[in-house]
Amino acid sequence: MAETTAALRALRPDTASRPAGGTRALEEPEATPRRRTSRLGLLMLAPTLLLLGVFFLVPAVLTGIFAFTTMSSATGISGGAYVFTANRLDALAGSGVPPETITELRTERAVVDAAGLAAAAKAGVDERFLADIKATLLGQSFAGPRDFKRALQALPNHPRRIFELKQAMEPFSHAILNTRFATRDQAAAAIRSVAPDIEPAVLDRLLSASYTGWVWTSENFVRLLTQPQTLRLCLNTVFYVAVTLGFSVAISLFLALATFYLPRRTATAFSALWLLPKITPVVLYAILWKWFTWEGGFLPILAGHLGLPAFNYMKGSVPTAWTIVIMVNGFVGASIGMILLTSALRAIPVQQLWASEVDGASRWQQVRRIILPQLKWPILFFTIYQAMSLMSSYEQIWLTTDGGPGNTTDVWALEAFRVALFDYTGNLRYGLGAAMALILVAVGLIVSLLLLRLFNFSDLVEQPRIET
Amino acid sequence: MRITLQDFTKRFDGASVIDRLNLTIADGEMLALLGPSGCGKTTTLLSISGIHRIDGGAILFDEHDVAALPAQKRNVGVVFQNYALYPHMTAFENIAFPLQVRGVGSAETTRRVKDIARLTHIEPYLTRRPGQLSGGQQQRVALARALVRQPDVLLLDEPLANLDTKLRLEMRSEIRRIQRETGITAILVTHDQVEAMSMCDRIAIMDKGAILQTAAPAEMYRAPASRFVAGFLGSPPIVFVDGVAGGDGTLACDGGLTLPLPSRLKGLAAGRKISLGVRPEHFGTSGDARLSGTIGLVEPQGRETLFDVRLRGDVVLRSVQPARDDLRGGETVSWPLDVENLLAFDAATGAAL
Amino acid sequence: MRSRNFSSWPVVLILVAISLPILVMYAWLVIDSFTDTPPGALLPDEVTLSHWRFLIDPSVTGNVWASTLYTLIFVASVAAVVVSLSATAGYALSRLNLPCRRFFLAGIMVMHAFPAVTLIIGAFLVLQFAGLYNSLAGVIAIKAGMILPLGVWIMKGFYDTVPWEIEMAGVQDGASRFTVWRRLVLPQVWPGIIALSILSGIETWGEYVLPRVLAPTTDFPVLSVFLNEVKVPDSVNYNFNLFKSVGLFYTLPILVLFVFFQNRLMTIFGAGTKG
Repeated sequence: MAETTAALRALRPDTASRPAGGTRALEEPEATPRRRTSRLGLLMLAPTLLLLGVFFLVPAVLTGIFAFTTMSSATGISGGAYVFTANRLDALAGSGVPPETITELRTERAVVDAAGLAAAAKAGVDERFLADIKATLLGQSFAGPRDFKRALQALPNHPRRIFELKQAMEPFSHAILNTRFATRDQAAAAIRSVAPDIEPAVLDRLLSASYTGWVWTSENFVRLLTQPQTLRLCLNTVFYVAVTLGFSVAISLFLALATFYLPRRTATAFSALWLLPKITPVVLYAILWKWFTWEGGFLPILAGHLGLPAFNYMKGSVPTAWTIVIMVNGFVGASIGMILLTSALRAIPVQQLWASEVDGASRWQQVRRIILPQLKWPILFFTIYQAMSLMSSYEQIWLTTDGGPGNTTDVWALEAFRVALFDYTGNLRYGLGAAMALILVAVGLIVSLLLLRLFNFSDLVEQPRIET
Repeated sequence: MRITLQDFTKRFDGASVIDRLNLTIADGEMLALLGPSGCGKTTTLLSISGIHRIDGGAILFDEHDVAALPAQKRNVGVVFQNYALYPHMTAFENIAFPLQVRGVGSAETTRRVKDIARLTHIEPYLTRRPGQLSGGQQQRVALARALVRQPDVLLLDEPLANLDTKLRLEMRSEIRRIQRETGITAILVTHDQVEAMSMCDRIAIMDKGAILQTAAPAEMYRAPASRFVAGFLGSPPIVFVDGVAGGDGTLACDGGLTLPLPSRLKGLAAGRKISLGVRPEHFGTSGDARLSGTIGLVEPQGRETLFDVRLRGDVVLRSVQPARDDLRGGETVSWPLDVENLLAFDAATGAAL
Repeated sequence: MRSRNFSSWPVVLILVAISLPILVMYAWLVIDSFTDTPPGALLPDEVTLSHWRFLIDPSVTGNVWASTLYTLIFVASVAAVVVSLSATAGYALSRLNLPCRRFFLAGIMVMHAFPAVTLIIGAFLVLQFAGLYNSLAGVIAIKAGMILPLGVWIMKGFYDTVPWEIEMAGVQDGASRFTVWRRLVLPQVWPGIIALSILSGIETWGEYVLPRVLAPTTDFPVLSVFLNEVKVPDSVNYNFNLFKSVGLFYTLPILVLFVFFQNRLMTIFGAGTKG
């Protein structure tokens, strides 16, 4: 398509800066271009800006924001509550919180007050019994359920059944343990009600320990910097990107050149064949590779017949697993590269090649001296673009080796994805995953801007010629 | 309708392209805007049409200033260099489009399209798409589309540039005929002086965003206002010989050659540097003075023959004469020079003397 | 140019060698879905249609037709959103006077080179907040958002090739810019609309990660998810033949496009390969 070739032709470094308008511009610095904003243009652009804003830019920004949180499937994503569980209280013992406070928090107490009476009436407790309670116990409080129960049983109209008695006790209970407080103030008030003299620092500690939602943290990045797994992932990623890229570039260049020179019919057949890895749905493509290399699949059976070692090549050994990962991704890359380089090749004026043949250049000299220099920019573009895609893609690896055997073929993008969205243990660490993705987003952004520079962007932007 | 440009100014990205240009086109007149590419003639045209916004001055249609109106609200018909026919519509649909947009009823539309098609001689082709029409037919469809809504003014942007020589000749007279029959005010933008001279009532010659001279073709050819105008009009072009006035009605050229000056310049002060313009038809046919030199290149052009004659001091004059094949390169000739018709310009300013 | 001063067979031989995996995989994709092969053998010994029973018997792997319909809705919606928004935004960016036009263009270009897949975690959170998690609508929006920069860029490229004079003539004929776009310019960019439809259609038809992660438990999985989860009761190993029949069924529309548009697909993807 014309667009691609134009784009490829524009693939020159932005060397010469353009002269600014002409000399007369200097004499009239006040001259402002009188261009009316097209309302139609804004209207036509608005839906796109909206969709890209909400489903492209906001995700990017959110990735940046949540990289600095502890958000996970345990904390939920929309804030949390304050809950003291037995475990949390145990963990707090010996961290500066006075033991008696912890005991107080554990204690379930009962207070007979107007609110409790109203709640009990609502819950359907026998009226006569309630009247008894109001008459004798109003204003009293009990240190534990046992005392309260005894006091209740002393009343004349107390229910006979334990079940009903328990039901009647409930509205008066003021337990802190395992109660959800929606806000920080409610939780603080509850703590103060049992420990009025609590120090503010201790209160703070208690409150943050009881918080179930996510909080701000830089822990994710500290963790990425310190854990040994990070180095391993980085090395894997670099190895994967570099080797796959080399494979793709070599194959696609060979394909583009070969199909350029071969008779039309043969050339069409091969370039069509090599379109398949690009257009085949990724799941089917992965299944075909599985069949090709899995035990009981094509290659192992063939190897068995030939007396070679036959096993599950995809997951059975590290070298075979890497080879397959590289081929799986490399074939797709070669497919893309072939398309790109072929269109760049077709853009070379054929007269140049005729001229070189008249000059007696051999086919090899023609490729080396005439074609390759002109493919320099398309190849560079493809390399940068493909490196960025490989770095951020994980679909193929996920669907084939899944990082195995062990985590030998695990790469950064796959790990980020798994940490955040596909952890087998069930705890999805959105915050940590976002931190890992943020690094990819940053690299992606830098490289995209670099490509924009290489593209000679100004050449592609022409001022509208209808000014009204 | 009379069109008037008053102090018309246009800038692009702050750089002034046209600065305070003034021009009037009379009602029913056909005026050529002639100039080399990049002189601002197309910018002027697009500003009159309303495609460009102007940065100063006024554009009057009769008394009415249209400068603030968008293109849609100015009643202007334009024929573009590449015709700009809508490729997915038939010739009929192309011509009917301006009427449809204005909400003209379909019976009325058909009638008016038929009328204009008759005028422009394209009735047999109305059902064809532009891709199935020849260049000349496309040109006629473009004209019909521009004229069908009876515009106040017709603008033609290099209308003949995309045609081959034979068709160009035909369309030249066709456009003029149609303009005369409709009596419409028209502006022709062109870089081709033959087109401008043969088709238009008047020519406005432009260079670097300014109009150098406005005159009827014959007058402009006979009495160009400047060296630039003289050089632009005429084919084969005029030859300039630089020299210093001798004070005695002669011109001393660089290589020792002396040329006579027309009698109207007898009083020219000695030592003044001037540029003498010799049109090819004024050398070699008639005149009082004689010049001898060696024939260089001979270009037979059918009806005429063109000679390059090298005079003393390596001055080369051109001569056009009725076809003759008795002379070869290298022969020496002594030919008359029509002194009174020579043109003289100030060497520094280029202004006619 | 394709002259005889070199012999082509060594090149063809190398080509065949590096193409062998693709050749074998696709040949057996078709062969295996219609045959049975004894364990340990490479070539089939029996022709059968039994692997295609999933088409009529939902008990084999689930309701494939519902999934197909679901996938079609997914693909058609994404293509419709992408094409309609690209056709309008591309025109605005190519031809109309807008404030910050350069900025928008640069932004679209950066987004179009940017690896959108890194945004999936952010997208997941957005859908959670918007209440669109686990719905097809959410997946459509995200997928459309990811293809859109490419679409806008492609359409802008096509609009750029329409001669300005056509628009000038339209404006001069008295048409508003909207009418000019609708009646004069849009008909010139049909090839672009078709190319973009095919491109976004193929991209979306093959999409796996987004529906799998952003709508994991909808009633009917799209075909990519359906295929990856083909489960065969009482079989420890993969039943590759069933996988391949479902896979062949799934990829059939793409193969049809491939057969009919082979040469054009090359150029379409040429435009689509971000660049």
